[in-house]
This record gives sequence, C-alpha cells and structure tokens, in this order.
Amino acid sequence: MSAPAEAPPAPAAPTAPRRRREGPSRRRALGLRVLSVGGLLLLWWAVARAQVWPPVVLPPPGAVWAQAVATSTEGYSGHTLGEHLLTSLRRILVGSAWGTLGGVLLGLLIGLVPAVRAMLGPLVTFVRTLPPLAYLSLLVIWFGIGEEPKIWLLVVASLPPVAVATADAVRGVDPDHLNAARSLGARPWQQALWVVLPHSLPEISTGVRIAVGVAYTSVVAAETVNGVPGIGGMIREAQRFNHTDVVILGLIVIGLSGLLIDRLLVTLDRTVAPWRGRT
Amino acid sequence: MPSTDDALVLTGIGHEYRGGSGPVPALDGIDLSLAAGEHLVVVGPSGSGKSTLLRLIAGFLRPTRGEIAAGGVPVRGPGPDRGMVFQQPTLFPWLSVRANVEFGLRTAGVPRERRREVAGERLAQVGLADAGRMRTYELSGGMRQRVAIARALAPDPGVLLMDEPFGALDALTRERLQDEVRALWSATGKTIVSITHDVDEAVRLGSRLVVLSARPGRIVLDETSGLPRSPDPRAEPGFAPLRDRLASAVRAAAA
Repeated sequence: MSAPAEAPPAPAAPTAPRRRREGPSRRRALGLRVLSVGGLLLLWWAVARAQVWPPVVLPPPGAVWAQAVATSTEGYSGHTLGEHLLTSLRRILVGSAWGTLGGVLLGLLIGLVPAVRAMLGPLVTFVRTLPPLAYLSLLVIWFGIGEEPKIWLLVVASLPPVAVATADAVRGVDPDHLNAARSLGARPWQQALWVVLPHSLPEISTGVRIAVGVAYTSVVAAETVNGVPGIGGMIREAQRFNHTDVVILGLIVIGLSGLLIDRLLVTLDRTVAPWRGRT
Repeated sequence: MPSTDDALVLTGIGHEYRGGSGPVPALDGIDLSLAAGEHLVVVGPSGSGKSTLLRLIAGFLRPTRGEIAAGGVPVRGPGPDRGMVFQQPTLFPWLSVRANVEFGLRTAGVPRERRREVAGERLAQVGLADAGRMRTYELSGGMRQRVAIARALAPDPGVLLMDEPFGALDALTRERLQDEVRALWSATGKTIVSITHDVDEAVRLGSRLVVLSARPGRIVLDETSGLPRSPDPRAEPGFAPLRDRLASAVRAAAA
C-alpha cells in the first residue's frame, strides 16, 4: 500500500489569503476524485453490459454488489465478509505490532551500537529485499499451516522497514542535543530513552506507517496457505471456483480498508510529533 | 597562582583536531584559573579555538594536552556541575518548556514536586514564569535562549558555560538578554564562562576578559575588568578605554 495519491496538506498557515486559496482547490480535488471513481464505475458497467468478455471474466458492478450483500449476510466458504476482513485485520494488527516493537528495538541497537550495526545491518537489508511470498514456504515448514506462520510472515515483513527508519533517525540525532543531555547529567540509558527515542519518533511513526502497509500487502500472501477465514483466503478460494465477482469484491474491500487505515496512520503520524518541521 | 578554591583551573591546555593532512592545532598553552563568582568572557577572532576551549571545559572534548579541574575535580566528561548554553538553544522540542528545565533534575532523580518548584523558580528568574506549559517551538529565539539558560541553571551547576549564546539573535533581543544575564550574574553570584566575538558584549558582561589569538589559540590578553557591578557598565568612565584595549588586542590577534 503506497502513500495516498494526494500529498497530505501542510499544516495550514494562519494567514487568511492562503486559506482562501486553499478552500476551493480542495473542494475541486474532492470533486475530481468523485468524478474519477464514478467514471471508472460507469466504464466498468458499460464494458460488462456490452458483454465484450463473458461475466466469468468481467462480472458487472451489480453482480459484485449482490455478492457484497450475500457474503455479508450469508457468508462465503463458511464465514461472512466481516469475519474474513476482521480476521485479516487482526493478523495485520498483531503482526505489525510485533514487527514495530522488534523494529524499534533493533533500530535503536543498530543506530546506537556500532558493533550491532556492523553485524545486523546487512541482514536487515537482506531480509527487507525478500518478497514475503518467497519465505512463506520456509515459515510453513517451520510453523505448519495454522495461525503462526501467517503472523510470523507479517512480523518478518514489517520489522525491517521500522528497523531501518529507526536506525536512520537515531543516527540523525543532533550531537548537541546529546551533549546538552549529558551536561544535564543524563546517563546512557537516559540519553537513549529521553533524547534519542523521542527525537526519532517522527521517523519511527513513518516507519510504522510503512510497516502496516507492508503487512497489509503481505497478508494476502500469508493467506494463500489455509487462509480461510481471511480476506486473502477468501479471494484464493473464489479463484479456485471462478467466482470472479467474489475476487473483485475482495480486492475492493482490501483497497478501501487499506486506504482507511492509511488515513488513520497519517493522522497518528501528525499527532505523535507536532514539532516536526517546526524547530 | 591557582588555588584549590578556584571554580575552574586550566593547566597547560593544548588541543589538536585530526585533519586530512595531519593534526590541526586549535589551542596551545592555555593556563587559566577562575575564582568562584567571576564572569570570564573569552573573546577572539573566528578560528581562535574559543568554542573548543568551552567544549573542553564542558567535557564534550578531551584535551590533547593538559588538565582541567572544575570545583577541584578533574574534568573527565560532561557533568551537571558544568551547565551549558549553546549558540543554538538545543531545547528538546518533544518536551514542554517546564519539562525542558526539569530535565537536569529528572536525570538526578529529584522528586516531581521539587522539580516543579525549581523549574518554576528558574523560569521566573529568566522572566518566563508563565511559559512553563508552552511548547519550545512556540517561543521566539530570545525566549528559547532564556529557557536554555534556565535549563542549564536548574541543577545548580558550579559553572555556567555559554557558547556565543546571543550570536543568533537580533540586535535588540541580544541587548536585552545581555542586561538580563548581567542581572542574573549579579543576583546569583554564579561563576560563568562565556564566549563571544563581540568586544562590546565582552566588556558589558565580563568581570574577567581573555583574548585568544588566531589558530592555534593562545592567551594574548588576560585582564580583570575593574568596572563596578552596575546594571549598565557602559556608563562607567572605564568602559571605553577597556573596550579599546580589548578591540586592539582582538585586531592584533586576528592579523
């Protein structure tokens, strides 16, 4: 999941002319977005209606909507749409939470201790470049096909970006901030906890946003093996039976909930470090 | 002659930085002892190593040669006995103004009520009694530097070190803060070492004035001010001659 298309608006300057210019342009951007979504739906409907491809390749929007209602009430492969989504979200939450915790700790160590940086830095970069689907097989061999390999996959996928962001932030700490702390009697652990960590919060929070995004894109990979309930498992299952409308429904649900979560994290990002860009 | 009562004693200090083509000398043969309650101002052209001197006293750097003792104890690293005010305020933006001032008390495990009390007193001393709840990024440059002074004073250091504390401020604010530091010094009797390249500022603030030569920095002038501890020494008849002596020493040092 990448950053949303529009850049988050800069904290509005308290000058009146700027606001006046901003209002209509934001409304226009919203209008354009509604227009593009509407246009896409219309195009989809028209192409499906023209029967260019059979419905099993491209079902009409109405059929997907009907599936949305059906899976929400009756369910699909034994679970409702809500259950599938919540199971996946829970995996994302647990996986990226552990990934974030481990990533922050590892990043602090990598950033603060040169020996750890030399030992683990390359390993983190190596794991970071691996696509999650590639090590899923290994995790299945190690942990079986239950819940464990899925969580582990998300942890392994989300930990490196947080670790790298934290390590970079730690190394970017102003030496005179540390000097100030030391001349105020701060011991090494106090410097780490009271200066280095809060200094790194903005970057860590960006790292968390990336980690949740990585976990989000990886959950479908994690659910390719015994993934029901789970939104990825549901898509996988629907693919086996050529239930194209369910596949498309799953994609839309993943995309929309992903957007929502990203908005949430952007808000969190802004509240966690209000001093960002202001010192 | 240095005595053990002196707040600060520097013996045979020399310092070299490692450069690309061998060591770069920054300071050489610095001998200095400062009695408690003095305000030593070190003046020098840029590159005279005056910032290096202050960082050595603060303990951020270890001298290549020589010994520094603060309050009779050899300096081995930074410590709360030597408070530091940087040219850039280096306040912690994630903490409130009051929490910044409390920082040096928190590291020492001072209980919360006592911390609040001390922070309140220090903030009042720098004219910011009502700013405790503000965020540091809401303050002007002058206010930030006041908070930095309050923060450095909170653990009650034996020596207050100030590295061109007003260098980044506009002229009006600088002048106000100079008055305030002078008043603070008179009121608290704190031992202060500060650095400036501004001769007027040096004579206004210092009870003891030292001029360093250009690289490597050596002491070329060491004078006790002799001006009375009045609120504004510029009105004193001794001010202008002293400033002229200092200015010509700095000019000669830069050449």
